[in-house]
Amino acid sequence: MATVSSTPVDGGNSPHGTGFAAGEYSVTTDNSKRRKLYSRLFYLLCVFISALSVVVLGVLLVSIGWQGHSRLTSDLLQNSHSELNPDSAGMWPSIVGSIFICGICALSALPLGVGTAIFLEEFKPTSKPLKMLHSFIQLNISNLAGVPSIVYGLLGLSLFVFMFNVFGRIQVNESSGTELFGVSHYYQVLSLAGGGHTVLIPQDDESQATISVDAPIQAVDRDGKKFELAIWDPKSGTPKPSDPEVRQRTVRKGQVGGAYSETEWYYLRLPFGKSFLAAGLTLSLVILPIVIIASQEALRGVPPSLREASFGLGATKWQTVRNVSLPAALPGIMTGAILAMGRAIGEAAPILVVLGAAVAKNSGPQNLMDNVVTMPVLIFNWAGRQQAAYQELAAAAIIVLLAVLLLMNSVAIYLRQKMRVG
Amino acid sequence: MKFTSFALTCAIALVAVSTGCDKSSTTTDGGADSAAPVAESTLVGTIKIDGSSTVQPISNAIREGFIQEHPNVDINVSGNGTGNGFKSFYDKGTDISDASRPIKAGEFEKCKENGVEFVELPVAYDGLTIVVNPQNDWVKELTVDQLKSMFVGDDAVKNWSDVDPSWPEEAIQIYAPGTGSGTYDYFHEVLAKKSGKELRGDMNLNEDDNILVKGVADNKFSIGFFGVAYYAENKDKLRAVPIVNPKDETAYEPTTENIASNKYAPFSRPLFIYVNTESLNRAEVQTFVQYFLANTPEVSEKVGYVRLPESVMAKAQSNLDAVSVGTHFVDESGEGRSGALTDLYKDENLVK
Repeated sequence: MATVSSTPVDGGNSPHGTGFAAGEYSVTTDNSKRRKLYSRLFYLLCVFISALSVVVLGVLLVSIGWQGHSRLTSDLLQNSHSELNPDSAGMWPSIVGSIFICGICALSALPLGVGTAIFLEEFKPTSKPLKMLHSFIQLNISNLAGVPSIVYGLLGLSLFVFMFNVFGRIQVNESSGTELFGVSHYYQVLSLAGGGHTVLIPQDDESQATISVDAPIQAVDRDGKKFELAIWDPKSGTPKPSDPEVRQRTVRKGQVGGAYSETEWYYLRLPFGKSFLAAGLTLSLVILPIVIIASQEALRGVPPSLREASFGLGATKWQTVRNVSLPAALPGIMTGAILAMGRAIGEAAPILVVLGAAVAKNSGPQNLMDNVVTMPVLIFNWAGRQQAAYQELAAAAIIVLLAVLLLMNSVAIYLRQKMRVG
Repeated sequence: MKFTSFALTCAIALVAVSTGCDKSSTTTDGGADSAAPVAESTLVGTIKIDGSSTVQPISNAIREGFIQEHPNVDINVSGNGTGNGFKSFYDKGTDISDASRPIKAGEFEKCKENGVEFVELPVAYDGLTIVVNPQNDWVKELTVDQLKSMFVGDDAVKNWSDVDPSWPEEAIQIYAPGTGSGTYDYFHEVLAKKSGKELRGDMNLNEDDNILVKGVADNKFSIGFFGVAYYAENKDKLRAVPIVNPKDETAYEPTTENIASNKYAPFSRPLFIYVNTESLNRAEVQTFVQYFLANTPEVSEKVGYVRLPESVMAKAQSNLDAVSVGTHFVDESGEGRSGALTDLYKDENLVK
């Protein structure tokens, strides 16, 4: 490096990037040979450095591929985590979970981030106090981009999961928090049929968590039909009913039942609790500064002459933003968004804080307040196991994660290209 | 124009995602149908479990069997650690708390303050075996202090002769589970945590137990450690070292009986689940916990732990049936009790 800097500076008057062309211009000077050599050496250094990163990436990919290729089966894509049969364990619920969380993240972070960038770039204030506020916000956004994601995880925990306990706490055995819609409350009581057959009794008083059935009562079956629930008292001496149909509609006297909330997919309550909605919103906090900064850079790259021309034609600020700045900046904004989403799908730390370390789940989310498994958390768990099978699974899951990431990126790049042409 | 095409492509992407969602529900339905044709269980509900990551595999495995029979019950098993698990347990955030140690007096106090009553159920033993090569004819038994000198700190001894002058003057080769494993943590906890030190850094670490077994089996001067269930499978290639119990100064082999009687100390510990009694009123939790106790001996052996003695399991079952609340490991004055599970898990020790 020292030798390079000791040579006469020739970068200023020779064309950049083409070391050979620079040499041609300087054949007459006496040190041309040396300069030519340095130029060539620098070129080789650049090639070496870029090749090095590619080699490191290649080694990583090959080693992961070597370790995980045997597990890249349809089982991996279709099944869920299995403790008893590691050989047929899979990651389908985590793929769905990651996509859902990234969806929430994109839906909230991208409009918010791009909107903020437009406001900061296109609607710059003129008065002094507002200018100070503007630069204060700008400074904060730049700093926030460097904050570790686990800090956002902790923020998301109190902001989305608990909402500072303003709406009450989510507790077991209580219909807690502020439930908005998509839920009906029942008691679940075991019937005489056995084998886990239960009946539901509509819950009138939500503060009463358990019920003890002593007298015939209105109940509903799984199709929503109401019927009268019969009681069988073992002490009365009457034999237990033998007809399975009757048994299904009868419970033992004094049988207790606990509260059960039946939820629709749009079930919503405040606070969000440990749900994928909270996780997605937390991730959107993580990537928001990145999206804002990238969008700002993109908007800054739009030549002022375009805007001035638009204003000159009598367009309003909104029309200029809508028809000139934003379309011109969109490819850059999309690039920032792709990078940000790539980071979001690979984040494990904030998800661990917000959702906990659950890995065994058989499906994607059933409602908005449902917990999910995500790919980074599953990989984290598998990689920490002692059994060799899970080590291989972790490697295979990393390949799948990369594939999903590439798929998402290629869709976004396709969109970007399409917009550039159109 | 540009924006309409953008919106259109976005819509297509959204549809693609939502069809993915549909697929998830159909696959699970299909899986449930084929897996559980026997009982027409209509049990529904959500059970929340959090706590020790050591117990998590047992809970996950039990859950796996349970949902074969009751496919509509949603069981969330998290492994955020015993302490964190107890915290959400006394905040009424979970129905069941997995624990790799008994509840502490402070946590018990918090439960009382918050009106959380629980049934304490031991589910398995976790044992840790120290193994040497079968050709190793000099190590008859090891004390905790000898183990400390061999394993703790970067100034740990290099040769066997440094531990005992009568032993060969050969370098000690150590094969140990990776730092991410619970076994490593546990070993560290027993030997090094009190003195605030770390285990020595020059061990051959591997997450794959097979490699540890092979390493010790192929090298006369090696020593290693891992879960006892793994030693049981490789008895022909390895020799387990009896460990001198610091209390009665006698060396004990890591047999199932010695682990169960806590004679194999300090390398055996019981694992627990704590069940909120209010949750026990719920049909799904009740059925699940019954299933848990009935199946935990087989299942915990399958995932690498030692089953509890019949007597302890019977006591646990009767405690669950009678809903006997309280802990056996904190005494009336609020001090923690220590000792063997078989000695402490008795009615007279139950503190509400």
